[in-house]
Amino acid sequence: MLLIFKRLWQVNWAEQWQYRANLIMYLLYWLVSPIIYLAVWTSIATAKGSVNGFTANDFITYYMILLIVDQMTSNIIIHIFGYKIQDGSLSGELIKPIHPMLTNTLVNDLAFKTLNLMWLVPIWLVLALVFKPDFASVTLNGILFALPAIVLGYFINFLLSGAITSLAFWTTRVFSIHEFYYALILVFAGQFVPLKLMPELIQTIARFLPFQLFMYLPIQMIQGNMSMNEIVQGYITGLIWLVVALMLFMFTWRRGVRRFSAVGA
Amino acid sequence: MHTLKLLSAFLKVNIQMAVAYRADTIVNILLNLMWLGWELLTLSIIFSNTETIGGWGFGELIALLGVFRLVNTMMIALIWPNTEKFNQSIRDGSMDYTILQPVNSMFLVTFSRITVWRIWDLVLAIVLIVIGINISGDIVTPASILAFILLAVSGVIIIYSLWIVLIALTFWFTKFDNNVTILQALLDAGRYPSTVYPVWLRIIVTFLIPIAVATTVPLQALRGDLDASRMVMFLVIGVVSFLIATRVWKAGLKRYSGASS
Repeated sequence: MLLIFKRLWQVNWAEQWQYRANLIMYLLYWLVSPIIYLAVWTSIATAKGSVNGFTANDFITYYMILLIVDQMTSNIIIHIFGYKIQDGSLSGELIKPIHPMLTNTLVNDLAFKTLNLMWLVPIWLVLALVFKPDFASVTLNGILFALPAIVLGYFINFLLSGAITSLAFWTTRVFSIHEFYYALILVFAGQFVPLKLMPELIQTIARFLPFQLFMYLPIQMIQGNMSMNEIVQGYITGLIWLVVALMLFMFTWRRGVRRFSAVGA
Repeated sequence: MHTLKLLSAFLKVNIQMAVAYRADTIVNILLNLMWLGWELLTLSIIFSNTETIGGWGFGELIALLGVFRLVNTMMIALIWPNTEKFNQSIRDGSMDYTILQPVNSMFLVTFSRITVWRIWDLVLAIVLIVIGINISGDIVTPASILAFILLAVSGVIIIYSLWIVLIALTFWFTKFDNNVTILQALLDAGRYPSTVYPVWLRIIVTFLIPIAVATTVPLQALRGDLDASRMVMFLVIGVVSFLIATRVWKAGLKRYSGASS
């Protein structure tokens, strides 16, 4: 199994490496929103002294950490896999004795992520020089608490996206459904603003959803803003959602593949 | 007259395409409404924490959202679908047929694909602008409205010209096919007044990829924040950039040699 993963990595890494120039454009595209939010909120915090206890530096560090965490927990499998189902090229992968989504697609996404992170490092350093974040509140402990949360967030996101992508077996409008899922992440993951500044109702709902593991919770752990109690709570919610996401994915995937072969595409 | 007839023919074809995919159109409109809801929510969150941002109030940001949506509609309804078609035609050589038509090729490349249902977005944008100005309580005169419209048109022309230059570059560098991503990437900066941004970002969105010229600047004129000499400057830049774009386009066409040769 390890050998299979190693080979898959070599293939997918080479494939992603071809597109390294395109990746810069993608990265640029993805960078802009967080930087705009950073600028908006720091300008407000500077004008008012602080926003609900958040100082300008709190916002700067929040979005600087967000750039890394978001890159780690997000995935592009709808783009890798959606088309394979629609144009039927999935057939070739289905006859291999390994799970197409949980091996090949997963490794391809990880290769994409690794390459992106490599590009992100120099860009991030330049941004750090520009915005001068003060990371005084960041501790090693906080980072150690956050790392498993990031991994958890990645896999929940991967499985939920996988379940949505599998809907392509039934409908051609899978990209619209994915857009809705993306909107949920925007609202409940804390990309626009730290969740604490969101309306009370949204915060309460967010506590029961997995999305805050994608950005808000790991960032807050790294920033050292969470009590032990909140951390444990976040992890428990996350683990429950991991199981739910896995079941959702398995269900849609199995049903979908059966349908796929039935059509005979 | 001739071009108007062509334009209406393009519209007709594209309406037929939209009607053929009715369900998609409805889903897209629903998603569009969802995003509008999200945008209004973000504004209300911002203004529950502050009264002004970059010197602008809640009403003015609603109006800015309207102007932003005008530009965004142009991006999504015209620029994206036509870029896709253009890149394809360079790769497979079908650009030949476009050039052979007895009509201005830049016109053909701009309008042959139109995402028709997006036109309702224009109405929505204008509603947002009117409501926003009303909330803001800014004093609007016929002269400032005229300045607003002129500058908005000129701003849109500047972005359009930049697009023409970007796709024309494909004539020289065939592989340059994510040419428009850079434009789209910075577009989001148009949601907020450029006065909130740090200087370097303001310079980028005003001069390099002039999103702010089409969003912030017209509203500044409407509020009376812009003196006459500045207005004239932006209008002149609009005309000049269009002239440059046509020049670059023609030079690019000369470079074009078809896909096979």
